[in-house]
Amino acid sequence: MVLERDPALDVVDMPINMGPQHPSTHGVFRMVLVVNGEKIVDLVPHIGYMHRGGEKLMEAMDFRQGIGYCDRTEYLAQFSAELAYCLAVERLMDLQVPERAEYIRVILTEMNRLSSHFMFAGAFGVDAGVFATSFTYAFPQREFLQEVFEEVSGDRLMYAYFRVGGLAWEVPDNFVQRVHEVLVHSAQGLKDIDDLLTKNEIFMARCQNIGSFSAQRAIAYGLSGPMLRASGVPWDLRKDEPYSIYDRFNFEVPVGNYGDVYDRYLVRIEEMRQSISIIEQALEQLPPDGPIVPEKMPRRLRTPPGEVYAKVEAPRGEWGVYLVSKGGDKPYRLKMRSPSFCNLSALREMTIGHYLADAVMILGSMDIVLCDVDR
Amino acid sequence: MLGILRSMSVTAKVMLTRKPVTIQYPEVHREIPNRDRAFPILIWDEEKDEPFCTGCHACERACPVECMTVVMKDNPKHAAGESKRRKIIDEFWIDYGRCMRCNICVEVCNFEAIGMNNTWAGHELSRYDRSQLVFDLDQLLSQSKAGKVDPGLRA
Amino acid sequence: MTMLLSAPAIDMPGALASVLGLVAITLVMTVGVAYATWYERKIIARMQLRLGPTRVGPFGLLQPIADMLKLLVKEDLRPATADPIAFELAVFAIFIPSFLAFVAVPFTADWLISPLPLSLLYLLAISGLSFIGFLMAGWGSDNKYALLGGMRAAAQLISYEIPLILAMVGVVMVTASADVYQIILFQDRIPLIVWQPLGFIIFLTASIAEVERPPFDIPTGESEVAGGVFIEYSGIRWSMFQLSSYVNMYVFALLGAFVFLGGWEWPFGRDIGWGYQLLLTVSKMALFIFFYLWIRASFPRMRVDQLMSYAWKVLIPFALLQIFLNGLFIVYDAPGVVLAASSWAAAGGLMYLAFHVVRRGEPRKPLQMISVRATAVAARSAS
Repeated sequence: MVLERDPALDVVDMPINMGPQHPSTHGVFRMVLVVNGEKIVDLVPHIGYMHRGGEKLMEAMDFRQGIGYCDRTEYLAQFSAELAYCLAVERLMDLQVPERAEYIRVILTEMNRLSSHFMFAGAFGVDAGVFATSFTYAFPQREFLQEVFEEVSGDRLMYAYFRVGGLAWEVPDNFVQRVHEVLVHSAQGLKDIDDLLTKNEIFMARCQNIGSFSAQRAIAYGLSGPMLRASGVPWDLRKDEPYSIYDRFNFEVPVGNYGDVYDRYLVRIEEMRQSISIIEQALEQLPPDGPIVPEKMPRRLRTPPGEVYAKVEAPRGEWGVYLVSKGGDKPYRLKMRSPSFCNLSALREMTIGHYLADAVMILGSMDIVLCDVDR
Repeated sequence: MLGILRSMSVTAKVMLTRKPVTIQYPEVHREIPNRDRAFPILIWDEEKDEPFCTGCHACERACPVECMTVVMKDNPKHAAGESKRRKIIDEFWIDYGRCMRCNICVEVCNFEAIGMNNTWAGHELSRYDRSQLVFDLDQLLSQSKAGKVDPGLRA
Repeated sequence: MTMLLSAPAIDMPGALASVLGLVAITLVMTVGVAYATWYERKIIARMQLRLGPTRVGPFGLLQPIADMLKLLVKEDLRPATADPIAFELAVFAIFIPSFLAFVAVPFTADWLISPLPLSLLYLLAISGLSFIGFLMAGWGSDNKYALLGGMRAAAQLISYEIPLILAMVGVVMVTASADVYQIILFQDRIPLIVWQPLGFIIFLTASIAEVERPPFDIPTGESEVAGGVFIEYSGIRWSMFQLSSYVNMYVFALLGAFVFLGGWEWPFGRDIGWGYQLLLTVSKMALFIFFYLWIRASFPRMRVDQLMSYAWKVLIPFALLQIFLNGLFIVYDAPGVVLAASSWAAAGGLMYLAFHVVRRGEPRKPLQMISVRATAVAARSAS
């Protein structure tokens, strides 16, 4: 007797819609997974839920108004975004930023890197399944950093503090002392996270050899930042194309060997240590007084016609601003090269063949900001 | 195994030795720095008993999100010889629902007539209806008039 | 209560007494579970630099009551495409077995609903029933996350049943009884954890997996399947799921306290009053629950394949090793010290090996550090 094959018993791949309302998609990101049991066969990312047309909006704004929009585009590394925008305009106008302003910019940007990586460490632990413990260890320390930002700029999140040519206003008198205080907290938070996660065998088992990406593929996909360095490419804009005054500090660039999720985590943790060291050096070299805007600052910012691309090493990777000006006080065209968008493009290739739970880890290790992906 | 024990020792150590960082918000308000930027408010000139604002539209033009509406009028006190301000603000609306708190209005103001509210009253503004977030002249001036606020940043 | 719960002491028919006792236990446990959530939230909050519930009542003590009221009045939703029978019955398929376990739990020397000669077997069997409910909920919800969660739950519960039972077989070999009551009496001087540390560790691990608590909470993994089998449940049904999951935790904590920590027998003997005995039982149970909470606050979640390989490649071979050691001990009538020593050594081996087996990784190279030296000097330091 030959049994009829019942089509209902066939093994079929199951599409699963993950997001935009899912606890671990870090915002409104949607991915349609095709799974065979628990294994991922295919992945289709959908972005654009947060698209607000920020670049177009900034074309209608002058160079001071646009700074507020930089914050809103990259809301975890606001100072880096502001810095890139200011650098672009400064380069176009050929402005020389005063020494003191440069140092304060570097200090704040590196502190911002710390706060951004704290956010990563906390959220990544939750992605891995720690019941919010990593989150609650990272966030108080991030809060201390934000208190300093608030004292300096007046706002906890949307600083709008850098200006073309320098800074909006002088830092408070006890700035140096406050930064020193906060660095102690940051070191404590870093130690907590490190002890909680780094050597935990379950965490290692979850992270190692997951989402491995070779250096060639990483370069081909245009990855940048910790994602690229974890894959073994020693590329850091602070080292290779120093902008601002980054050529005045001694620091180390961590580079991974395996390009997997665990290496990305380690690279970020190590970068936080290096950031602390850079801030300490910068505080030491900080001129005690001096101007914070160029002396011959025009009252109304007008750029000569031209185009410029300025890039900085943001916590998530290379944050670039491509600016075309036809003269006047507004950009003719503005394009932001956001690291999250380029890094996210590698998601599909990294994820296929792994388990469902790994997709969450891989996405978490990218540390994307959805505002920055969709802009 | 050692890593697992280390994780457990961290949580145990935190439980036994560290204090919770929670601030019990509605009862306890965190002290906010002097330069805190909540939302823009208008400043009251105590000497002349009128607003500093002359309705010059500088802030309105500089606002990136166009959340302000300014109407100017002739100052009756100037006609009476009590004030040097020839023009004065007649109507002023700020839509707090649109405002992005960028501080640009404060920077462009020539009369230091507008400032960012740096008190908790400037933060606790939740309303049930968006239209209630459009503040008119009286509401914008009330805090400064009562002497409750002294904006730290008035550059 | 004492009268009611100790079946032989009263004149009622045994069945009626059991039912009454079970109702009493259910009511007590419902409140107990509500306060277990409070305990959990407070303890974990302190581990996480938080305060935990503080709003309702002093120290947030009325928070569980408020939560319960909220859950009771919440709308009970059922997806339109769900299988009504499976969806509705799944709750009871999980809820009833978890409470039935209390039939055989001797809270003190006298407090026992029904003395069963094979109560250990009964406890393990009845707590193993809940996976049917998980499968029903997963299938009946008509939701892919729920389905994944249900499948994960079934695989996990069945896999971890085996090391759990094997660890218990070791205990039965040593104590020569499958009655929890007799096992407790066996530990009048030394608790079994001293003789069977390997079995204890296996039991501890497997029991965490059986009650689906972190790091083995993959069927409900919040960050992956967003609640898993519970994703479509709300209101009273969801709270019954939670209730039974906590009750399961109680059952395994009690079982651990009875079988490995000597229950109410050790260290004071059985002649102390029932009040003290109950206190001993509850405090030992609280110790277990504290351990579960501590683990929850500290560990990431395991992945489903690691979970399986951990059960089949690590726990089961070691459980068999424990049985083998016990067998040698019985056959050659070796002194107890030898058994204890060998078990301790094997427990050490388990701890050492466990994660190497799961990880299957070669030692990793550390990060390369590329140092960058300043090429320019600050104007200030140059001057």
